[in-house]
Amino acid sequence: MLKRILALTKKEFIHLRNDWWLPAFMLFGGVLELMAVGWATARPISNLPLMVLDHDRSAASRSLVISLENTETFTLEAMVDDFQTIEDALERGQISAAIIIPPDYAEEMAASDGNPTLSMILNGAESVPATAALRAAEGVIASLNEKLIIKRLKLSPDEFSGFAPRLRVWFNEALSEALYTTPAEMGLMLEFTTLLFAALAFSRERELGTLEQLLVMPFSSLEIIIGKAIPVIVIAFTDFVLMLSMVHFVFKVPIRGSLPLLFILAFGYLLVELGKGMVLSVISKSQMQAFLLVLLFGMTDFMFTGYAAPVESMPQALQFVANIVPAHHWLEILRGILLKGAGMDVLWPHVAALAVLGTFIMTFSLRFVRKALD
Amino acid sequence: MTPAIITNNLTKRFGDFTAVNGINFEAKRGEIFGFLGPNGSGKTTTIRMMLGLLAPSAGDVQALGISVKGNQAELQQRVGYMSQRFSLYNDLTVQQNLQFYGAAYGLNNTDLKSRIQDALVMAGLEGRENAKTKDLSGGWRQRLALSAAILHRPELIFLDEPTAGVDPISRRAFWDLLYQLVADGVSVFVTTHYMDEAEHCHRLAFIQRGNIIARGTPAEIKKNMMQGQVLEIASSDAVNTIKILRAAESLDLQEVELYGSLVHVVAQNVEKKKKDIQKLLKKEKIQIEDMAVIEASLEDVFIASMK
Repeated sequence: MLKRILALTKKEFIHLRNDWWLPAFMLFGGVLELMAVGWATARPISNLPLMVLDHDRSAASRSLVISLENTETFTLEAMVDDFQTIEDALERGQISAAIIIPPDYAEEMAASDGNPTLSMILNGAESVPATAALRAAEGVIASLNEKLIIKRLKLSPDEFSGFAPRLRVWFNEALSEALYTTPAEMGLMLEFTTLLFAALAFSRERELGTLEQLLVMPFSSLEIIIGKAIPVIVIAFTDFVLMLSMVHFVFKVPIRGSLPLLFILAFGYLLVELGKGMVLSVISKSQMQAFLLVLLFGMTDFMFTGYAAPVESMPQALQFVANIVPAHHWLEILRGILLKGAGMDVLWPHVAALAVLGTFIMTFSLRFVRKALD
Repeated sequence: MTPAIITNNLTKRFGDFTAVNGINFEAKRGEIFGFLGPNGSGKTTTIRMMLGLLAPSAGDVQALGISVKGNQAELQQRVGYMSQRFSLYNDLTVQQNLQFYGAAYGLNNTDLKSRIQDALVMAGLEGRENAKTKDLSGGWRQRLALSAAILHRPELIFLDEPTAGVDPISRRAFWDLLYQLVADGVSVFVTTHYMDEAEHCHRLAFIQRGNIIARGTPAEIKKNMMQGQVLEIASSDAVNTIKILRAAESLDLQEVELYGSLVHVVAQNVEKKKKDIQKLLKKEKIQIEDMAVIEASLEDVFIASMK
């Protein structure tokens, strides 16, 4: 039995060596993707192009523009003279936001019963920068508001004490995007790599026509499954180690929890995805079909992992679905160990869920694939 | 000795479609059994059932005296399978393919070494062990596939269209190998649609739309299946000869077919109709260069029986 499994595994590795781009993609595709995501999100959103239409042209309006620039969220694209320019620029996607200062801005600010107004236009087609722009503008306006109130109540700034919250961000003190995105991307890349690679295991031989020959040989279905699974496990796990080194050493994502625990759980998770991939593989007639199925499953899983949108804000029914998606629990575990230093005492609900789902999926896959091969 | 293969009312249905309709035949040991039929006639379905890759809807198959159903593990060791296009991994070298076969069948290293050597000699590939299989021409690849399929010394070997798309000289060499195997006592089951190959088989079965319509030795089949004799005509205009003869109802000809540049006419008492044919063609200004009654080939029989 062992000899036959090894013969099959050896054959699979020869295929990989001949088709070098495939393992290269498996090993380094994820790393490259991480590098791009990590670098792009390493710093908070800044330098959003801003246009200003200043009808007032007063000291007050200039100071407003300077305050906005000082947030570093904005960079002043241009001071313009008419609204048409702003409209054109927004349509072209040249700017993220525009501020229109009315002619009576300084006057209203100065008057004791004044009611200063301000228009802001955001490019909602790109919601993430738009949200960041809104937040920055609100911050500037809030502080202007505070100054206005102090002035109107005729207080000295020292006397005024407003609401001063003390904010502390745990696990990611600088609220760095990279600390959030790279572990999640890494987790998802592991899923995609394993699924895709496993999905090629049988669909490839079916497409080439060699599967029949394999089934006529004295391999048991279990031997075929194990022989085909070993290369997938080796490559996917190596990929994981490479990606982990990358996020840790290049993007300074901490590993606060136990590394052995992370490896054990990564291995377990990998087996679950392997099972799924092999099911996709035996139902596919060609590699292309297998690939498209992986894409479909992968993208669906992705929606439920909580990476794109928090699971907590999904409708009840979708939250339930999210809980039966292994990738969701895997991302929680991965983030928990890396960023929070969590151990089994905290992670056990996710580990248990992963174990139950995993056992179910693996049992089903094993039966399904064996039946398909027999 | 029990026959190499016995099928008993072997049937396969896919929904409403009956691919193989209760076929019965027996292939003797140490013989080449040819399974003939047009594409889509049920040849591959039958071979898949005999290999245990597909469960029959009804009936059963015995190979080497044991039922295929439930004895796959034993039969896998005693049976070989080869299809010309799909038996080998193209990105593996000759040596790697043979090694994979050997290891899959559990040969130990010393056996494997000598058998790989034998296989290389048989395929004529000594010195090309490290060539990629995809770089070999069709004939070499086919001989390699056969050598690989018999590496574990099976008693019975299934060949599914082994010579499809291979040049005549390579096909000839391949059949020489098959005769060699049979001389060593191996039983061979081969599907083909090449008529010249069918003539080389010891025993044949014709399958059409899932039914066996003829079986026996090539000579028996020719005798039993052919109603009438074959007249071969070489004329100045073969195409018009066919048109004219097909239109001539009074002659009562069973078949008029183009055979290369020749025309084959099948009819009862064809000798007596020679004169009328001559007369008819002369009237149409077609010159007859040669005309003779010949022995029917399997192709004549095949075409006649397919109608």
